[in-house]
Formats: sequence, C-alpha cells, structure tokens
Amino acid sequence: MLFWVIAAILTLGASLAVLLPLAGGPKGVSASSDHDLEVYRDQLSELDRDVARGLIQPAEAEEARAEIARRILRLDNVGDKAATRQPSMATRLVATAAVLAVPLVSWGLYSQLGSPELPSQPLSERLAKNPADSSVDELVARAEAYLAANPSDGRGWDVLAPVYLRMQRFSDAVTAYRNAIRLDGDSAARQAGLGEAIASAAGGIVSADAQAAFEAALKLDPANPKASFYLAMGMAQEGRIEEATAGWQKMLAALPQDSAWRAAVEQALAESARRSVASGVPAKGPDAGDVDAASSMSPQDREAMINTMVAGLDERLRQNPRDAEGWMQLIRSYVVLGKADQARGALNRGIAVFGSDSEEAKKFTAFAVSLGLTATE
Amino acid sequence: MTRKQKRLSVIAGGLAFLGAATGLTFYALGQKASYFYMPADLTNASLQPGQRIRLGGLVEKGTIERGQGATVAFSVTDNQKQVKVTYTGILPDLFREEQGVITEGTFRPDGVFVADSVLAKHDENYMPKEVAESLKSKGVWQESKSD
Amino acid sequence: MVETGHFALVLAFALSLVQTLVPMFGARMNNQKMMAVGGPVAVTGFALTALSFAALAIAYATSDFSVANVWDNSHSLQPLIYKITGTWGNHEGSMLLWVLILTFFGALVAAFGSNLPATLRANVLAVQGAIGATFLLFILATSNPFARLNPAPIEGRDLNPILQDLGLAIHPPLLYLGYVGFSICFSFSVAALIEGRIDASWARWVRPWTLVAWMFLTGGIAMGSYWAYYELGWGGFWFWDPVENASFMPWLAGTALLHSAIVMEKRSALKIWTLLLAILTFSLSLLGTFLVRSGVLTSVHAFATDPTRGVFILCILTLFIGGSLALFAFRASRLTAGGLFHPISREGALVLNNLFLTTATATVLIGTLYPLAVEAVSADKISVGAPFFNLTFGPLMVPLLVVVPFGPLLAWKRGDIFAVAQRLMAAFAAALLAVLVTALFIDGASVFAALGVGLGFWLICGALTDIAVKSGFGTVAPSIMLRRFAGLPRSVFGTALAHLGLGLTTLGIVGTLCFGTEKILSMHAGETVQLSGHTLRFEGLYPAQGPNYSEDRGRFALLGADGSTTAVITSSKRSYPVRQMTTTESGIKTIGFSQLYLSLGDEGTDGSVVVRLWWKPLVTLIWGGALVMMAGAAMSLMDRRLRVGAPSRRRKSTGAVPSASLP
Repeated sequence: MLFWVIAAILTLGASLAVLLPLAGGPKGVSASSDHDLEVYRDQLSELDRDVARGLIQPAEAEEARAEIARRILRLDNVGDKAATRQPSMATRLVATAAVLAVPLVSWGLYSQLGSPELPSQPLSERLAKNPADSSVDELVARAEAYLAANPSDGRGWDVLAPVYLRMQRFSDAVTAYRNAIRLDGDSAARQAGLGEAIASAAGGIVSADAQAAFEAALKLDPANPKASFYLAMGMAQEGRIEEATAGWQKMLAALPQDSAWRAAVEQALAESARRSVASGVPAKGPDAGDVDAASSMSPQDREAMINTMVAGLDERLRQNPRDAEGWMQLIRSYVVLGKADQARGALNRGIAVFGSDSEEAKKFTAFAVSLGLTATE
Repeated sequence: MTRKQKRLSVIAGGLAFLGAATGLTFYALGQKASYFYMPADLTNASLQPGQRIRLGGLVEKGTIERGQGATVAFSVTDNQKQVKVTYTGILPDLFREEQGVITEGTFRPDGVFVADSVLAKHDENYMPKEVAESLKSKGVWQESKSD
Repeated sequence: MVETGHFALVLAFALSLVQTLVPMFGARMNNQKMMAVGGPVAVTGFALTALSFAALAIAYATSDFSVANVWDNSHSLQPLIYKITGTWGNHEGSMLLWVLILTFFGALVAAFGSNLPATLRANVLAVQGAIGATFLLFILATSNPFARLNPAPIEGRDLNPILQDLGLAIHPPLLYLGYVGFSICFSFSVAALIEGRIDASWARWVRPWTLVAWMFLTGGIAMGSYWAYYELGWGGFWFWDPVENASFMPWLAGTALLHSAIVMEKRSALKIWTLLLAILTFSLSLLGTFLVRSGVLTSVHAFATDPTRGVFILCILTLFIGGSLALFAFRASRLTAGGLFHPISREGALVLNNLFLTTATATVLIGTLYPLAVEAVSADKISVGAPFFNLTFGPLMVPLLVVVPFGPLLAWKRGDIFAVAQRLMAAFAAALLAVLVTALFIDGASVFAALGVGLGFWLICGALTDIAVKSGFGTVAPSIMLRRFAGLPRSVFGTALAHLGLGLTTLGIVGTLCFGTEKILSMHAGETVQLSGHTLRFEGLYPAQGPNYSEDRGRFALLGADGSTTAVITSSKRSYPVRQMTTTESGIKTIGFSQLYLSLGDEGTDGSVVVRLWWKPLVTLIWGGALVMMAGAAMSLMDRRLRVGAPSRRRKSTGAVPSASLP
C-alpha cells in the first residue's frame, strides 16, 4: 500500500515538472544577439585585463579589439527572430500529450516490468524475524551469521553440521564437523559425521579421508554403528566383499534389536550376497543406464543408491553451478524419481544460474517440457 | 610566397603528414599484428623463424612440469595436436589443467614454443573467446564439460 | 524501497521522452513555455534517477537477495564498502550509474544554463534527453537491475574478487564522469547544428564542459591504470587492452577538443572543426561503452556479455553517431567560418596539436578495431598489441611533446618562433643537462632512455618557463614580477600545470620502462635477494582469514645496509570460496617516487615459492603527473573568464533572466 502512495506522489511530482512551466505566465525573452553581445563585452574587458598585466602587446591588443568590434557590428545585422507566436491548436495538443504521457508511460511500463507485490527483503530483517516463521534456509543462515561472528563456538558448529548433512550441503558439513572437532574435541559422533559428510560429498565413495575419520570414530567408540557401517561399505567398494560382509555381520550381532541401523545393514548384506562384485558408486549423476542397472537391485537399495547419486550431483551443482549438462541430468533424475517439485526447483535454479534469457535457459525449458515438466513461473 | 602558396604548402604539409601516418599504421599492422593459432593449425601455417604468434588451446592434463626456479613447461592441446610450451614467470591465478589458455611468444628452433605471456580464462565461466570458438569448430569443446 | 527505485527509473524514462520532444518542438515553434519545460524536467529526471540508484545501493548495502542483481554480485559477508561499490561492479548497475551521471549533467545545464539563449538551452536539453531516453530504454529492456527473485535466496554469489577493491569505488565513477561529461559538448554541437548557427556563448560554454569531462576522464584513466597495476599483479601500468583503448580514444580526442575550443573561444576560428571534434569525442565515448558492454572483444573487463545487449547498443551507436554526422554534413555549410591566422602562431600551434592528437586517436582506433574487421571478413584471428602501438603511437607522440612548450609562448594570430626559442633556451639547457647526466652517470642507460629523460625535463622546464615569462621574469623588478605572478589568469596556471603534469608522466613512463629491473626466482623462507641495490629477505608464508576469503601472506623484509629490517612488504594469494577463485595481491613499497613491487606465484613441492620482483623507478610519477594535469584543469575552470555573464538587466526590457555563473 505504502508503495502505491509513494508511486502516486512521484508521478504527481513528475507531472507537475511538465505542467508548471507550460501553465506559467509569459517568460521574459532575451534575443540570442543579446547573449552574444554580453560575451563580446566580456572578451573586451578580458583584453583590457591582459593588457594591464602585460600579457599581450598593445599592438596585438588593438588588433584583437578591432576584431571583436567587427563581430559586434555584424551582430546587429542578424536581427531577431519573429516574436513568440500565439499558442496554436497544435502546440496545445503537444502540451496536453506531454502532461498525459508521464503517468501513462510510467504506469503502463511499470505494470509490465515491476513486481509491486514483493517487499524489500534485507537480509538482517529476514534473519531477525520469529524463528517459527522462518524457512529452514533462513534458520541455517541465521546460525551461519552467528558463527561468522563467533567462529570459535564449537557447540554451534556441532549443531549445524548434521543440519548441513541433511540439507545435502556436504562440503559445508565437512567444514562444520572439522570446526566442531577442532574446537570442542573429538567424539565418535563427530568423527563419524565427518566421515559421512566426506563420503557423501564424494558421491558416496568412502575415500581415504573418510576412512580415516571413521577409524578415528571407532577408536573412540568401538560400537559406533555409522562408522562400522561405512567402513564395511568402503571395503565393499574396493571389492573386498568378504571382509565387508564379515564387518556387517559383526555389526548385526552387536546391534540392539530396535536399532535403526539393522534394516540398513540387512539390506547391505543382502546386496553383497546377491552381487559378488559391488562396484564403487560413480561420482557422476545417474544416467538412464545407471537407473536401468539399478533396477536389478531391491527397491530400497535402488532408491538409496539413486538418492545418494542425485544428492551428490545436486551438491556438486551448488558448488559449481555453471554446468548445463549437469543441470539437465539433475532435472531428469528428479523427474525419474517422481519428485516433480524438486525437478522444478532444479529447473528454476538452473535457469537462475544462466539468466532467464540465456541460451541455456531456453534449452533447459525445452528439455523440461520434453519430460512433461513446466516451470512454476 | 603569396598567401595562396603559403596556404597550399600548409595543406600539402598536413596531407603529407597524414599520408606518412597512414603508411606507418599499415606497415605496423603488417609487422606487429600477431596471429592466433591452435596446435593443429600450425601444420598448415607458414611461420617465419622468430615470428610472434599467439597459441591457444587447453592445458593438457599431466604435462605441467616445474623446472628450475620459475620456469614452467606444459603442453597446449586442441585434442588433435599438442605443442610443448615453456614459460618463465608467474602463471595466472586461473591457470589449471584442462583449462583454456592463450600464450604469446615465438617458436624455438627445436619446436618448443617460448611464451612470454600466458593468459588464462578470467572467471569460472569465461573461456578465452578465440579458444572457445576454435575448439567448438573442431568439435572438441561443448558448452559445458561434465567431469 | 526496491520497487520504489524501479518505479522511479520508469518514471525517469517517461520524463526523458518529454524532455526530448517538448523543448525541441518549442524551439522550432519559438514557444517560450515549451522551451521552459526542459529545465524542470531535466532536474526532476535527475532526482528520480538518483532515487532509483539509491534504492539499488541500499538493496546492495542490506544484502537484499530478492533483487536478482544483488544476488548475482554480492555476498552477506563482504565488507560494507564492497557491498556498496558492488552496486556498479556489474553490467546493470554500471549502466544505471552511466545514466545517473548523464542526467546529472543535464540537470547542471538546466541549473546553470539560465544565461544561455533560450533556444540553444532548449535544444541542448532535448538532445541530452534523447541520449538519456535511449539508455534508460536500454536498461529497462535488456539490463534491468531491479529484476526480482521470489522466493529470495538466502545467500548471494559474491562479487568478482578482482572487483573487491577500493579501485572499484573510484575508477568507474570518475571514468563515467569523463565519458558522459562529453555528452554535454555533443549536445551543444547537435543543438548548434539544429539551429544552424553558432552563438558566441556556445563557444564559451563548450570549453568549461570539455575541461570538466577531460579532468574526470584523466583521473578515471589514471586510476584504472593504477588499479590494474597493483591488482592484477603483472606489474604493468598500461596493456593496450581494447578496453583501455576505449577510454583512451575519447581522452585523446577530448584533449584535442580542449585545445581547439581555446582557439574558438579566443579567436572565433576553427568553429566547425571544434563542433565536429565534440561530436567525435562523445561518439568515441559511446563506442567505448559499446566495446566494453557488448563483449565483442576478448578482454579482462568482459564481466557480463550478452549478444542482445550488444545489438541494442550498436543501434544506439548508429543512431547517435550516424545521426549527428549526417546532421553535420547537411548543416555545416550554413555555419560561418571564423578568423584567419598565420601558420606560426598560437592558433597554428593548437592546430598542430589537433593534427597530432586526432591522428594518434585514429591509429589507436584502427589498432583496436582492426582485429574485429579481420575476423569479420576472414577466419583469421589476430591480435594487435603493444608492439603495434609502440611503433605507431610513439612516433606520433614524441614530436608533439617536443613542440608542447612552444605553444603557450607563441602570440595569437602571428607569432615569432625565434623569440620563443630564445625564451626557451634555459629549458633546453636543463633538458640537455638531464640527457648528459643520464647518459654518463646511469649504468646501462641507452640513448633513447637519456633522450626520454631529457624530453620529460624539457616539458617540465618548458611549463615553468611559460609562467616565468608571463610574470616578466628577468625583464621587470622582482616586486612587480611577484605582483604580475599573482595577477596571472588562472587559465595560465592551468595550462602550465597540465603541461607540467604531462612532463611528469613522461618522466615516469621513461623511468619505469628504461631503468626498471625485474627478477623471477623461487625462494625458500629465510633466503635473500638483491634487486637494484635493495635487499629483500623472504620471511615465509603465513595463512590468514579475511571476511569472505582466506589467504596465504608472503612476508618480505626490506633490509637496510646494516642488515636490519627497514620495512615489511606483504604479498598474498587469496582464495574466495564462493566463486572458487584465487587472486594475487601484490606487495608494494614506495621509496621516493619509485616502487618495489613483488607478487607471489605458485608454491613448489619443496616448500619454495615463485616470487616475481620489480624495481620501478619513478613509477608513481605516471599517476602523479595525471593528478597534476587534473589540478591544471581545475585551475582553468576557476578562471573568471569562464563565468559568462547573461545579458544584464540594465539593457533589457523584459529582464526576467537572472544572471548566473558557471560552476
């Protein structure tokens, strides 16, 4: 509402700037020859000053004076133009059109271009509002702002790290876990989380770094299920299926009956039993071939694998967004997974990266349409 | 000299000056403009010994060798041919493997390109224009690389 | 606030249309009321553009990521100063700044132009309005800085790290003040062509505006050069990069305009030429905008490129350059030519200056556009770089610099070259001495280097001679001399200062190019290196954390004769995580007018670091000279001659036009 009031006032002011001179009383007119004469007088007095200062010789000055005098004489021959004509019908029309043009052009154009319904959203305001109204993104941003100001608050990092992991911001999760460990010391949960973050950032591959973290976690708490599970997974990825199976079986024996890890371990065991060779999960996003290959797995397995790969791709695009192929892959993956909302989100993000009128954006839109998806905008 | 002759001589002088300047400009363009090549173009190009050219392409993976002091050797490739380049100095911040570069310099008799300047792409999305176009026309580089 | 800014921008566009059409129509119909519309509309248009710009700047300062432009070029962790300068560190924002300055100059004409003939003023404002309307349309149609994002992202994508520097706060605004300042000269020229006559006040007005624009452009180019020098870490101060050329061409043409406007003002000669030069200068400014904004050139400045924008700007370019030149072709014959003069005279010297400067502009133009032309007609890609410009631009500049000291000492209309040469004997002797001292006492000085130093001294002493002669040094008693010195017109000081600055810049360039030394080596912590008599010890690399980057700082100790540390120089490699970019911050230590410059390269596997060091003698004079030139321009602007009076009330019947003075 306030915006419309301001817009109306601005329009009024602008229209008045056009209207007032047109409506004002007759203005005094000075012929252009008067202006010229003034300049020539000025030149004469300047010449006198220069002579007084000794900057030019008297003979030169005399010559210059004669020259200026000739110009003044010539002026009188020019004569003034005709006096102001009476305003004709045409001039009145032009004046009316000019005054009307200001509101018409501005409101017309703005209605095409503007987004009057969107308020300004300064970051500090967004972060200061009631947490209950905030989106998860905003809450995380608030925590980030707090940690930027207090980077040595280990507890803050500790709280934020798993949130990052859930939001699939894996590299941020790695940093957060590292900070938490550095500031608040080792714990099995932190080390295991760090390992999971590193592995997820690499698209599910348990790298040497991740392995080291999991091993550190096990040293602190030999019964940590996450660490044991991933270490076994790492072995499976290296093709050491038997060791992996042994690891998982040992876990299964030790896990309490109601542990959430049971299901995961049983699945992993079933998988390794069926497929003697478990290859490492490719770091790339899944293509149609991968999805086909995955169809031979159990439904949960398949979904877990695809989800990991898609999440890895999503994360990679967050880090390195100018990858048109990647965006198309991500959109397709979400469509294949039946997550239309996320697919649409990926489409919009991809378009935003390249700009809505870029070649890529057109390609994305056409691609999405071919998959039966439309942008929300 | 009469006034007319004077004026004529001034105009003639001005024209002679402009003529000389034009001549110099086009001479300099012929001499000093450096042509842009990709490694595969070099087989067809006839280069004078010591002629300055600009050589563009991708930095081939695994070819960057840091030698004595600040000298660096690497290969520039268009995925058809490659040229060995040496450069002494500080590489640009964005110099990386498999990224577009433009080097400027001359060929040594042994076929190694001695660069005295190396330009890398300027931000995350910017491939030197000449390199991008040439690679595209050779079908090597697409709008995006998925790696 | 954001939408208010957006609406104000649209409203400014509507007003600029009115500003174009109504005063011009009024001038044709000789309708006073319609002509009077130009002033208030120009001022209101400026106020609205300023409001719009402020809204965008506030969105940047408060990290309002619901604005796509802010999201794309800002980050909440950036220091506030870079958040604000980020407003014009991108295509959309910088175009808005361009238009802001354009409307600012229009408002100045409206505010101070009451002493201009009414039709001239109306036409000038109309042309100014037309430029504003096309550029506002360009912004609204292709590069709207107020496009919104909904929902708003929570974090921005950061400003290009190279632009996160104080240089961005100063360089573009100064440069645009210069570029766009020439639009006033352009508008005056086109207005004169529309009217078909050149008023005497026309001549008086063009010169101060040229001075203002030239002063800012000088500052903008010098600042840009210094920025590139310390920020890019390559140690160069001028690269003949197409974008640098784009700003240099209007400067060269503007310098020619500055000089030809003197002739026109003083002697009413060279009117048509000056008019053409004013059109060409602004055309080159527009061309510069096109080259930078359309991204047709491979250049470090191409931070946003988009073909539709390029086509749009090309249309604007064709409209204004083609239109004004066509108008010139039709109307120039109606304008009367001015006074006559002898070839050896102040006018003659200024014509020579114009000949050299316009030819130099042409060579730079050819060198800049030739690669585009070659690429358009054949598949060949060529680049025209420093060797070309050194071969063409250099030979054109040297003779010009040699004759500079003669100009101000020659009399108007008919000069005596021998008398002037006699007066310059002292300056010549000083220059000769400088040549001999350089050749004999500095190791490794080539003949060219010695002559270059001599040229610098020749310019400096020539400028001092000008002042000395004009205050009567050696011919009148010291007391009278002092009085005459104090009474000299400011413009005399302005000329001398500008020429002095030129000499300083020349000296700086010669010193850096001919006597500079350079070393590239890889160093371990604790090692020392010698460079031109300075000893530096590498202390090691230290990690550090900035607000939105992390860096490795290399510390170097400058050692005195006794081995103690006299200064610490730091150069660092910064890594900006959001854009995943690294930049090099060079370390600079100023010693006298010279500088030690060092920048870090890659770390080796054995813990050593590649270091590049330069000793740059007199390098600060390059930019110091430019500052002196700016001071000269400011001095000239204060000359009372430029405060043109309006027709005074005494002699006027209707007497409603107040007398006002120029800025």
